Amino acid sequence: MADWKELEAKSFYEATARERAIGMVDEGTWTELAGPKDRLTSPHLPVLGEAVEFDDGVVTGVGLVGKHPVFVASQEGKFIGGAVGEVHGAKIVGAFLLANQVYDKIMAECPDEIEERRPAVVISFETGGVRLHESNAGLLAHAEFMDQIQGSKGKFPVFAVIGSKVGAFGGMGFVAAATDVIIMNTYGRLGLTGPEVIEQEMGKAEFDSADKALVYRTTGARHKYIMRDANYLVEDTIGAFHDCIGEVMDLGYAAIEKMRRIGNEELVDEQLALAELSVELHPKDSRDVWAYYGNENPEQLTEITTAEFLATAKRRP
Amino acid sequence: MTVEVMIGRGRDAIDMIVDEGSFKENMVGDTPIPSDIGPGAVVGEAAIEGRDVVVIANDAQAVNERFPVVYFGVIGMEEAYKMAKTVYTMLHQDADKPIGEKRPLVLIVDTPGNGPGKQEEIFGMNKATGAYQLALAEARKAGHAIVALVIGRAISGAFLCHGLQADQILALSPEFSTMIHVMPITSISRITKIDIERLEELSVSNPVFAAGPQFFYRLGGVDELVENIEDMRPAIARHIAEVEDRKKAGLPTGPMYHGELGEERGGRMLRRKAIEAMEAEYAKVADQYV
Repeated sequence: MADWKELEAKSFYEATARERAIGMVDEGTWTELAGPKDRLTSPHLPVLGEAVEFDDGVVTGVGLVGKHPVFVASQEGKFIGGAVGEVHGAKIVGAFLLANQVYDKIMAECPDEIEERRPAVVISFETGGVRLHESNAGLLAHAEFMDQIQGSKGKFPVFAVIGSKVGAFGGMGFVAAATDVIIMNTYGRLGLTGPEVIEQEMGKAEFDSADKALVYRTTGARHKYIMRDANYLVEDTIGAFHDCIGEVMDLGYAAIEKMRRIGNEELVDEQLALAELSVELHPKDSRDVWAYYGNENPEQLTEITTAEFLATAKRRP
Repeated sequence: MTVEVMIGRGRDAIDMIVDEGSFKENMVGDTPIPSDIGPGAVVGEAAIEGRDVVVIANDAQAVNERFPVVYFGVIGMEEAYKMAKTVYTMLHQDADKPIGEKRPLVLIVDTPGNGPGKQEEIFGMNKATGAYQLALAEARKAGHAIVALVIGRAISGAFLCHGLQADQILALSPEFSTMIHVMPITSISRITKIDIERLEELSVSNPVFAAGPQFFYRLGGVDELVENIEDMRPAIARHIAEVEDRKKAGLPTGPMYHGELGEERGGRMLRRKAIEAMEAEYAKVADQYV
C-alpha cells in the first residue's frame, strides 16, 4: 500500500476501502479494529458456497483528526457490492458504540475539553444496502444503524463520505441521509431505489436506466449538492475528504447540528414543502430543478470541473 | 383459531384493534395532521382498553394521485413526512410526561415498499423514510412505548421505515400469509445466481435469508407471533405494558435489544462477537486517542 502522503493525494474514487479509512485520519494515527487478522467472516456465505472476506467487506478502526478520536467504517464495493450482512453490520454498530464510550469518558473526565476532543463517526459508503445472501440479518443491522445515529445526536457528529464506484443506495441511502454531514466527490451517488427498479416501475420512456448521464443527474453528487442533500462537494482525493472533516470539526458542534437535512419537525416541514414542489414542477429531469433554482444553463453544470461547478452552481436557498 | 387474511386491510385492522368508535383520524391531541397529503398513511389518535394511543397504519386501498408510484400501501414522500409529523406532534405534546403517561404509539404494518419513482429520487425519498425513522427512534428513546404489528406485508426498506424502529414488534403468524422479507427467494436466486432448489432447501433451517415472520422471529426481529385475529388487541396492550415496565427498569428495547434477542434465539451468533472484538482491541490502544 502507498504511504500516507501518497494516499492523501490518491483518487478517492479509485481507492480501496482500507486506503480510504487510513487516509481519512491524520498520519500515523490509524488502528484497525476487528481487522482481517481476527477472521470475523460471514457464517452465512459458506452455506451458500460463496467466498468470504476476512474483514467481511468493511474496514473499521480509529484514528485522530486533530485531537478528535474518529471511528471509521469504510465499505468495500469489490466484495459483494459492499452489501451489509451480519458481521459487516455489527462492525459499523461497533464504531458507534466506541464513539459513545469515548464521549462518555471525555464528559466524565474533562467535560470542558469536549469541543476540541469530541469524537466522530465517519462512514465511507460503498454499498447497495442489504446483502441478499444474509438479507434478514442485513436488514436488521440497518435498523441498528438508524438507532445509533439518533442516539448520537447531542453527543458527536456522524459523517457520510460518498464517492466510490457503487455509491450509497438501498437502505444505506437513508442511513446516509440521517447523518449530520454528507461529503461527496463529483463521482458520488446517493439514493434509495436503483435505476433498474425505477425503469421497471415507470417504464423506459420515463426513466431509461441505461442512460448513464440521466442516472447520474438524478442521484449524482452535483444534483445532491444543489439540493443541499450533500453539504460539501470536494475534489476527488482522499486528502480532500480528510481535510473537509477536519475543517467541519473545527466549526464546532452547534454549527454541525445545523447541517442536518432531517431529524426534527422543522426540517420535516422543509422537506415536505420540497415534496410539494416536486408535484408543482413535475421535473422530467433534475436539470428542470437546477433551472428552477436559478441555474441558467443547467446542461453545462455536468460538463465543467468541480471547481468551476462550485464557483457557478446556484443551490436551493 | 381465526384466520382471516389482513393484507391490504390497514383501516380494518385499526377498527379491530382500537376501542369501538375511538379512532380520530388526522388528529393528535388538539393538533390536526394535514389530511390532504399522503393518503397511503393513516394517522390519528384512538384508545386501546380505555387508554389513549397514537396510531400509524398503511392504507393499501388509497392511491396518491400526485405520486403515481404510491399505491397498494407504498410509503411515498408525503406519506413518510406525514408519519414523521405525527410522531413529532405526539413527542412534543407529551414532552413533560413521565414514562407510563406518555402516549403509546401503535404501528400497523402492511407495506410493500418506499416510493420507487424518478421524482422520488430527484427530491430524495431516502430523506423521507430516514426522517420518519429518526422521529420514531427519538420518541422511543424519549420513553414512548412503540409497538408494531405486521398484519400483511413488511417488505425490506419499507419494514425498516415503518416497523423496525419500534420497541417491540409483533406479526400475525404465517397462516395469515404475513410477508416479511427483503426479497422473495426467487429474486434472491436470480440475483445471487444460487440455485432456487438449494435456497429453498436451506431456508428450512437457515432463517437468515428465508421469507416469513417465523424466520424474523428466530433472528430476533419479531418479538412475538400473534396466532388469532382476536389476539391482536390484547397482544398490543400487553406489549405496551411490557415495554413501559422495561423502560422504567432501564432495560433495553428496540433494534439493539432485538440484536441480543437474535443471539438468544440462535439466529445471529456473530453480531456480539464482532462488537466485542472491536471493544477489546480499542481498549488496548485507547490511551493513544483520549
